[in-house]
Amino acid sequence: MLTHFRRHALRGLAAFAFASLALPAFAQMKELKVSAIPDEAPTELQRKFAPLGKYLEKEIGMPVSFVPVTDYAGVVEALAAKRIDMAWLGGFTFVQAKLRTGGTAIPLVQRAEDEKFTSRFITADPAIKSFADLKGKTFAFGSPSSTSGHLMPRYFLMQAGLTPEKDFKTVAFSGAHDATVAFVASGRADAGVLNASVWDKLVESGKVDTSKVRVFTTTPAYFDYNWTVRGDLDPAVVKKLRDAFLKLDPTNPEHKEIMALQRATRFVPTKPENYHSIEQAAHAAGLLR
Amino acid sequence: MLLNRDMRDPALTQRLLLSMLALMLAWPIGHVAGVNPAALVEPANLRVVSSFVAGFWPLAHDSFFLGLLGDAVLQTLAIATVGTLLALLIAIPLAIGSTAALSVTAIGPSPSGLWRPALRQVLRALTLLLRGVPELVWALLFVRVFGLGPSAAVLALALTYGGMLAKVFGEILDSADRRPAKAILAAGGSRLDALMYGLLPVAAAELLSYTVYRWECALRAAVVMGLVGAGGLGQLMDQSMKAFNGGEIASILTAFLLLVLFADALSGLLRRWMANTRKDGRWRALNGWAFGLIAALACLASWRHIGLDLGALFGDRAGSDIARFLREFLPPAHDATLLAKIGSGAVETLATSLVGTALAALVGIALALPAAGRTGAVAKTLTRFVLNLLRAVPELVWATITVLAAGLGPFAGALALALHTGGVLGRLYAEALENAPPAAEAALKLSGAPRALAFLYGALPEVAPQWLAYTLYRWEINIRMAAVMGFVGAGGLGQLLYYELSLFRLDNACSVICAMLALALVVDQVSAILRRKMG
Repeated sequence: MLTHFRRHALRGLAAFAFASLALPAFAQMKELKVSAIPDEAPTELQRKFAPLGKYLEKEIGMPVSFVPVTDYAGVVEALAAKRIDMAWLGGFTFVQAKLRTGGTAIPLVQRAEDEKFTSRFITADPAIKSFADLKGKTFAFGSPSSTSGHLMPRYFLMQAGLTPEKDFKTVAFSGAHDATVAFVASGRADAGVLNASVWDKLVESGKVDTSKVRVFTTTPAYFDYNWTVRGDLDPAVVKKLRDAFLKLDPTNPEHKEIMALQRATRFVPTKPENYHSIEQAAHAAGLLR
Repeated sequence: MLLNRDMRDPALTQRLLLSMLALMLAWPIGHVAGVNPAALVEPANLRVVSSFVAGFWPLAHDSFFLGLLGDAVLQTLAIATVGTLLALLIAIPLAIGSTAALSVTAIGPSPSGLWRPALRQVLRALTLLLRGVPELVWALLFVRVFGLGPSAAVLALALTYGGMLAKVFGEILDSADRRPAKAILAAGGSRLDALMYGLLPVAAAELLSYTVYRWECALRAAVVMGLVGAGGLGQLMDQSMKAFNGGEIASILTAFLLLVLFADALSGLLRRWMANTRKDGRWRALNGWAFGLIAALACLASWRHIGLDLGALFGDRAGSDIARFLREFLPPAHDATLLAKIGSGAVETLATSLVGTALAALVGIALALPAAGRTGAVAKTLTRFVLNLLRAVPELVWATITVLAAGLGPFAGALALALHTGGVLGRLYAEALENAPPAAEAALKLSGAPRALAFLYGALPEVAPQWLAYTLYRWEINIRMAAVMGFVGAGGLGQLLYYELSLFRLDNACSVICAMLALALVVDQVSAILRRKMG
């Protein structure tokens, strides 16, 4: 009896192995795959992208799909491996992408705001008023790959004579700008740093209690975000994409929502040279070899 | 003659001295792990935790979120199913290749020489490497090579669980009754004949039952891998955690607990079903086929849901991607600054695992006594429920909560380990206690010893070796978990690995992974030696 069961179990296993071999194959679609570094919650990124995606679809005459991602380095790797065609990158992730594609990645456009970008240092601790007060405290950066949430703040901290690993009690990486605010507001970290644009948005929308969490210093300006395409994309498509971005005008009612969600007054052309200073800062801060 | 009743513990001094020695050893370890019980009762932290927990109610139940949640549950189920299926495909050849039960040389002299034993050793080393690297680390790597989403989790499960299944399958085959297989080999049958008609029929039920158990574990692992961006419930959890949305977290946790209960019930049902089939021959043919068919349908549906594109994974593009990735990984970096960082990370990870396991043992003991029914039926049901709850939530999910209570750092990791492992150990301790021979304790009680002393000298010596063995075994698991705790902000090697991967310093990341492997192997050895000494 026992052996009978086993034989049937074996037959069952064989049936199951056979059926699982008959698997469907997947066809490739002709479309533009877009992604963005997850500097905010992925649901928020998708919400922000939806109207822009529709607009681009119309302008380039090709379906546009958004690939949500929860890891900065994953976006860089996906662009280098040609799994996505265009990505919203930060200054540092652009430098990483440039290095990983052998210099072929093309920065298309950036927001006028990205030419003079800043980071805000925040705290809920009344005793923290300047960099010097951060000694011995727990500190939260955003993602290790973030420009405004890690690289540039680290660079400016080091210029002020502070080495995070030595001078802070604990260095944590929250993963995203809005997460950093949550860390600091909840007391999980004594202080933190984030992108000025996200901070302003959270304040405007009332998502942060400014009576508790406050900005105690803001960094000098640097170049940040851009839209980058992979270098071997059809030049005709690249041109259409660039033109589409440059045409966006917040006074045009059709574009108003797109621009508001992108937090942009207008898009301007950009070039790799704009990011040289970021690359130098990354070397100086020991984040690039 | 009247016995002179001495109420004192006769071994009191010895025990006190040993305890003090243990405390002295524990002090520096606790220091490295950042143990700070005061942080747990600090008003600021208490406020954070209570406001966080207060946010759990009401559960998030808007239709948009429930849609996301439903998708995530299906995806998690699909990841676990396809992952286990691929793990089987990896494990079966590995196990067959490495089992000694099919060795021709083992039953008699053979001219074929040394290459077969050598091949077995190579396959065993491969198995060790596959299961030595935690699935979370594989997931993190695959997220980089193949992009985000469930594919990375499926592949990670396939590799780690492939290694685990191969090891256990090998052990089952090795310990199965070899006589039928040997008879076939001796009668001149091929090794395939010996396997199909001699070995497999003897071991089939056990192999199947272990596979079902692994699928259940895969479900929990699938949730955890989502925390590094590999899809499913974990990814949703990560997003809600970062946004501090208590209602969503509570809904996700509820869905997760229901899923675990469902899997538990299903695998119990399958096992009972198999047992019944043995008794009642009438339906056995039907049952065998039905089981196979249901499993195949589940796999097919899961496969479709995930849309795993094997063509893209193993096409020429992927080949060059993997090759490029590997080139950057090797050789591992070993400059002095990196080694110093790895050293302090390893010490922190080791301390986290030790403190976590020690606290878990305390939790386990405290809960095992009522759970074994020593303080009444109500307490028994209640503690069993608490133990199940502690056990059902994976360490990494606990960690996302303990960082609130204890702040960022290794102590939060140790607490998370203590909560999950405490649930596991409590149950194992309680079972050992229930199964222990009651004679010694009963005799002591009857001769008038107080209950506490009767327990200490009657029951405890019976179960102590087993308790210690369980504890050491969990320590082996916890060192691996402690190594990845850093992904959620609990320091140690995990945080270092995440950092180096983010900066594309893959040769550094490779060194960190090597350190994780080495640490796990050392702990395995130490634990094995300790268990042998006791056994």
